Amino acid sequence: MTRDIHKVLIANRGVPAVRIMHTCRDRKIGTTAVYSTPDRLAHHVFMADTAVHIGEAPPVESYLNMDRIIDAARSSGSDAVHPGWGFLAENHVFARKVIDAGLVWIGPSPEVISMMGDKIEAKALAIKAHVPTIPGISNVTNIDQIRTWMEQEQVSFPVMIKASAGGGGKGMLKVERDDQLGQALSQVRSESKKSFGDETVLVEKYIERGRHIEVQIVADSQGNVVHLYERECTLQRRNQKIIEEAPSPSLDEGLRQEICYTATRLMREIGYTTAGTVEFIFDAPTKKFYFLEVNTRLQVEHGITELITGLDIVGIMLDVAMGRPLPFKQSDIHPNRWALEVRLNAEDPKNFSPSFGKITRLQVPMGPGVRVASGVYEGADIPPYYDSLFMLLITAGADREDAIRAMDRSLSRNLRIEGVKTLAPLLLSIIRHPSFISGEFSTRFIEEHMDELISMFRDESSEDEALKVARYVAEISALGPQTWM
Amino acid sequence: MDTMKRGTAPTDFVRPGMTPKEIVAAVRSLQGVCFTNVGMRDAGQSDFKNRHRIYDLKTLAPYYNNMGLFSAECHGGARWHVGIMNRRETPFEEVAILRELMPNVLLQTLIRETNLFGYRPYPRNIIEYVVANVDIDVWRCFSFLNDVRNMRSVAEVVLKRGRLFEPTISFTSADWTTNEYYLSVVRDIVDLCSGTDEIVLCIKDMAGVGDIRRIASLVDAIKQKYPDLVLQYHRHITDGLAMPALLAAAQAGAKIFDVQEDSLVRFYGHSPILSVQAYFEESGIPVHLVRSEAEKAVQKVREWIGHYEWAESPFKGFDHTVTRHKMPGGAFPSSFEQAEKGEFLHLMPSILKVMSLYNRIVKYFDVTPGSQITWVTCSGIVNRYAKERGDAGVRHIIDLIERFVEEKAQDLRAMTEAEQQELLTLLRNAPGDFKNMLLGNYGRLPMGWPDEWVYRSTFGDEWEKKMSERKELSPLDSLGNEDIGGPRQELTEHIGRVPTGEEFILYLMHPKDALSMIEFRDKFGEAPLVLPTDVWRNGLRKAGDRVDFELRGKPYTIELVSVGAEYEGIIHVVMRVNNKTRVYSVDTPRAKKVEIRMAKGPQDIGAPINGNIWRIGNPERGAIRAGDIVHKGEEIANLEAMKMENAIIASFEGQISEVCVKLNDTVQEGQLLFVIEKT
Repeated sequence: MTRDIHKVLIANRGVPAVRIMHTCRDRKIGTTAVYSTPDRLAHHVFMADTAVHIGEAPPVESYLNMDRIIDAARSSGSDAVHPGWGFLAENHVFARKVIDAGLVWIGPSPEVISMMGDKIEAKALAIKAHVPTIPGISNVTNIDQIRTWMEQEQVSFPVMIKASAGGGGKGMLKVERDDQLGQALSQVRSESKKSFGDETVLVEKYIERGRHIEVQIVADSQGNVVHLYERECTLQRRNQKIIEEAPSPSLDEGLRQEICYTATRLMREIGYTTAGTVEFIFDAPTKKFYFLEVNTRLQVEHGITELITGLDIVGIMLDVAMGRPLPFKQSDIHPNRWALEVRLNAEDPKNFSPSFGKITRLQVPMGPGVRVASGVYEGADIPPYYDSLFMLLITAGADREDAIRAMDRSLSRNLRIEGVKTLAPLLLSIIRHPSFISGEFSTRFIEEHMDELISMFRDESSEDEALKVARYVAEISALGPQTWM
Repeated sequence: MDTMKRGTAPTDFVRPGMTPKEIVAAVRSLQGVCFTNVGMRDAGQSDFKNRHRIYDLKTLAPYYNNMGLFSAECHGGARWHVGIMNRRETPFEEVAILRELMPNVLLQTLIRETNLFGYRPYPRNIIEYVVANVDIDVWRCFSFLNDVRNMRSVAEVVLKRGRLFEPTISFTSADWTTNEYYLSVVRDIVDLCSGTDEIVLCIKDMAGVGDIRRIASLVDAIKQKYPDLVLQYHRHITDGLAMPALLAAAQAGAKIFDVQEDSLVRFYGHSPILSVQAYFEESGIPVHLVRSEAEKAVQKVREWIGHYEWAESPFKGFDHTVTRHKMPGGAFPSSFEQAEKGEFLHLMPSILKVMSLYNRIVKYFDVTPGSQITWVTCSGIVNRYAKERGDAGVRHIIDLIERFVEEKAQDLRAMTEAEQQELLTLLRNAPGDFKNMLLGNYGRLPMGWPDEWVYRSTFGDEWEKKMSERKELSPLDSLGNEDIGGPRQELTEHIGRVPTGEEFILYLMHPKDALSMIEFRDKFGEAPLVLPTDVWRNGLRKAGDRVDFELRGKPYTIELVSVGAEYEGIIHVVMRVNNKTRVYSVDTPRAKKVEIRMAKGPQDIGAPINGNIWRIGNPERGAIRAGDIVHKGEEIANLEAMKMENAIIASFEGQISEVCVKLNDTVQEGQLLFVIEKT
């Protein structure tokens, strides 16, 4: 059964909203933006054909407010909803509400979301599909359970506490010592309750110096499941990825095929449709990989897969939602580029403290091999209520060295952001670090090398220095000669 | 230039890189005399409050490079401090710029023996550290007490580095400053420097008080005793009689003379370079000078000197009474500046009168820090009487001191009981430096300790104890080495980064002003170095005004579009910076300051990152209020930032004495959240 989509409401903001609108525009499909009060003048609002105000700043009143969003879809004449990533992207209740309202849900079925959203159930399914998993314990409500399990399974610290409903690095905490267990458990439960409305948690053995590898899957409702190869997302800070690349520099061809087919098998097993990702933790010394979770949504880092395969994953999601079969077979997919993505978060690069405010100047890198996905424009505000990600910078080249070179050029010469602090200096330090260049790093690379990375920051640029002089001229022009002179 | 020898490089008979011995030999063999150009230091210090910016001074450097000078004084004295405090440029930057633009010229500094470029005696290790890190060729070093012992550390390091040491005798006219006295000082110097082959000796007449016969006699006496000693004469022009004095010194055998551009000459600095050259030549003394270059420099000054009118002393004209009050050229403008700011300009004649009496009571030389001690002490006395008893009071105290000094020869018993009582409290409010000097903390006074009544007047009941504490040692010997890591750590903490070696030296000399300078430069970058003086001082004044400059090899233009009206203490300035329009909000002094308290002390709990306080307390015990007892490790608040929770933990057992935020407040990193009293 196929159906047409004429207008898509994007239940999101910033980078994902703008990204989805780009493809809709390519496909001549209308778009509806939703916005909270502080986002009234945000970039995605003006990218869209129509825009609807859905509430106040706190996410629960706006971007998590399902009824308001569905009302907005109806009132704006939209016939489909794309959730982007974050907010309601992996909320099966919302997916169900959208479908029940007679709208097309651009994503996997509510049943699959629900199944995979529960980490405990997902793990059970993975075991059933013969996918290796990390030793762990489910439905944890007190620390004695953790202690008993650790004793029985001879697991030692550190361990990872995860919200069963969590994802995207939120609602998880690494615990190093026994006396931190209580505080950590209650924090994960509280965060989980607040972000996901559910406080069930699981605890797993923590794989030291693991690497984070995920496989992009696309599937249609005719039962075709195709993988678009893997991405390496090992470089994280506070469990959130900040640099991703495709392909992974840590896999050889045999392992690559094995991990990609394992992911495809699992997704076929659970009857997955549309775009999704299977995440693994890879233990490089033993060459073993373990199932982590399935992300039932478009991912932040999908762009690097698009660059190495030449496909438009958002376009595929639209096609699948319209009931069309995938236009390619597995044997048609031939990645022939290397792509690298860095996340420009509005944060202090020295301590990750959020830096919100107005982007007073924005100069975006251009030049060969560069793709920019921006959620902002010059003059836009970055409000304190939402995610700090405001721009993705992606470069591609014939090989890894090429992609790194283009990224270095983009970060060091052509990018200029004033008004908020960004991770750019840290990202530049990382891609210039010998360990990154040689591909030798783990999920703990950033925490282990932070001081060294900070020492590699360039202190000043001639443009920054000229602006300091201009600031002086402005002050004296306004105030006249000063007594200290 | 018939006096110049023809050769490969006729102008630079001396140049950087020559050994002290080679330099001294070159000057000795010079036919005639040569000049130190003080246009880049003492000229500005004497008449323009040291405000001449390197931006303007460097325009003279290409001419200096070909002028055939002995040296260019461009460093030291008060220029150092004023650079940090007012011009916001460092002496290190200045030297680097000048080295590049005039590589043939010896760069000269003025240094205050143990006080270096600051205002307190430094221990030996700091002196050695600083002198070793300043790239100067000629080190003119003086002591306001002529205590040659104090010069030893500077001399040793300068000689070790192969640079020229120029020991200096402070000169004044008084009944006790005889040739015999000076010869004893010169003997100490020659002993310290192991002879006369590697030094130039300077006579520093910083007030401009040496009359013509007096200076001829002194130079002659020194030359009689030390025929090979190269003499330099540094003479201010305040009394109006400088040029004949220079000629007299030249005729008596002095070799090097301090001069400055004619167009920089006002009233308290040095003689005009072109005039001195003409006067000497006419009198039969050849001068080693490329006059055409000197003329160009004189002309160049006229292009920018108009920007400094505001910095000139309000007290205009020569002042022959300087021979009595002896205020040095360098102190004139700054003293008048202080008098103007303190609104006691009308008291200046009285203060100068008191100074002329004071310098007969305590005998030393009115040059830094002595001149400051004299100024603060005397202006303090006059101001106190003016405040308490008006003009009549000022007349009374001058009359009292005058009778005591001039008629009674400081014999306290010759005064009435009431007058004795008054004199014995006269110095009670004297500055700390005055007291330090009386105790010998700066070194030995040239004529020995002052009379007993001075101690009684200064220290009151403690006078006997204080007299017994007087030191005979040089501060070099009495001060123990200071740990240099301490202040370095202090500075690192203040500025939140590792300071450069140069920033550290600025901090050692002038801690408070160095911090303010570093903060200024962190904010405004190289503005002091690249902006023309008019823009530096006044900004851009009307729409369309622009300033062009180069920074690190790239061109920049700033054009003013508009300056808005003040609203709630803020003025908006619109400018085009390299064609891009930018809007600046400038806080006026009336701007409302939103004060954010930061966590500082050990009892303060601060925010770890920027975010929202969404919970005060914790789920188990509920909200936390002032007065509550909290336990070590207990969560006392939670801060959310970009959807991540951050627990605020009590780091010790204690009682909450203040909750400094409200629920749902947005807080900055480091902002004070709680004060906890340890229990």
